Amino acid sequence: MANDFDFTLIAKVLPILLQYLPVTLEILVFATFFGMLLGIVIAIPKLLHIPVLKQIITIYISFIRGTPILVQLFLVFYGIPALLKLVHIDVTRMDAMYFVIITYTLSNAASFAEIFRAAILTVDRGQMEAAYSVGLSGIQAFLRIVLPQAIRVAFPNMANTMINSLKDTSLAFSIGVMDMVGRGETLIASTTRALEIYLALSIVYFVIVMLLEKVLKLNERYLNRYMPKEAASS
Amino acid sequence: MTIDFAFIFEALIEISKVLPLTLFMTVTPVILGILIGIIVAFVRIQQIKILAPMLNFYVSFFRGTPIIMHIMLVYFGIPIVVDVIAKALKIEYQSSSIPILFFVILALTLSAGAYASEIIRSGILSVPKGQLEAAYAVGLTFSQAMRRYILPQAFSKSIPNFTNVFIGFLHATSLAFFLSVKELTGVANIVASINLKFLEAFIAVGLIYWSVSAIVEWLAHRIEKRVTAYSKGGI
Repeated sequence: MANDFDFTLIAKVLPILLQYLPVTLEILVFATFFGMLLGIVIAIPKLLHIPVLKQIITIYISFIRGTPILVQLFLVFYGIPALLKLVHIDVTRMDAMYFVIITYTLSNAASFAEIFRAAILTVDRGQMEAAYSVGLSGIQAFLRIVLPQAIRVAFPNMANTMINSLKDTSLAFSIGVMDMVGRGETLIASTTRALEIYLALSIVYFVIVMLLEKVLKLNERYLNRYMPKEAASS
Repeated sequence: MTIDFAFIFEALIEISKVLPLTLFMTVTPVILGILIGIIVAFVRIQQIKILAPMLNFYVSFFRGTPIIMHIMLVYFGIPIVVDVIAKALKIEYQSSSIPILFFVILALTLSAGAYASEIIRSGILSVPKGQLEAAYAVGLTFSQAMRRYILPQAFSKSIPNFTNVFIGFLHATSLAFFLSVKELTGVANIVASINLKFLEAFIAVGLIYWSVSAIVEWLAHRIEKRVTAYSKGGI
């Protein structure tokens, strides 16, 4: 009978699911790291108004923002092998994990690029001029004066992107990655108890999202430590 | 493997036939979600006892878990509840007769309610308190002031956020694919499997989502311009 909801099963599967938490976190860490790098790279042509490149990047960002992550996952999963086949590299046996990391990197890069661009634009132009006036070079002025101020502005949005990305990793199982949800699916197959296992998964996600949110909030407070109290307390 | 461009076009036509279903699955949860969101936001702003902590948990739970979990929990959880109630009331009703689409829309509605409530809350809190006081000063009641002054301003400020929610839920409907609902992604997968052309089918469905998102963004931008015309700033 499907009616007897089994609380003890939740407690039983939680430790099993938690063994696969590192896989989820691995996706998150790699995708965030590479996403930030790529995000910085693709934000530059938009900031410097480099023709052609700027338009290509605008289309890229619009595409990533305009399609579901699930579709992007499938596009990368089927598209990258097809692309690499043109140069005679066979990646059909590659671990699905790489495809997942590539997808989330591409997706995060679009968000990060927009966040970085907006944050750099919020820094007053006078700051750059002041830096020049005391003899800093363009790169020095950017790295020492503009970037630290921009990061403070960008951080809350970056934190949001990371949290969304963490929730999005729950779709990695759809191309066959053995993460928490993937393990959950196999547990459902063996126990035929879907509700309990999805509840256990939800609890794990809820807890790690809350923890990540806490950690990011603390960081945000640290970044705002020099700000006057009114602006920092928001 | 080369990309079959003719097939992309073919798939585009085939897949776009279910666009109305996807739009229905997006619009219904967002509208119902906004209604839930208004109620939740008021309870949380007024800090009504017992109810407010419960709704706080509702919002943080739905914002803290992936949407696919909401769909799965509703899909597997609601039938159990329905069966128990039907048994207790001795009604001849089988939970298996509920269409899958209902579960998806219910899950997305609950989820949209949580996201919308945060947007409405921040929208209402962004309207200066002086507006409410001014409305009181001319003799309006609380609900009149809300309906005529505060909410219109709050909504017009929240349009970009609502656009994001709408597009987010347009994309979230793709998750119904896991329950084999025949919406855009589901049909794309069927078209792909029949013809064994996965890449082309997903390119086609990507293009559809992309164009719908672009149209929605453009429309929202125009609406925003219209409704915020009162606060042009300057002289």
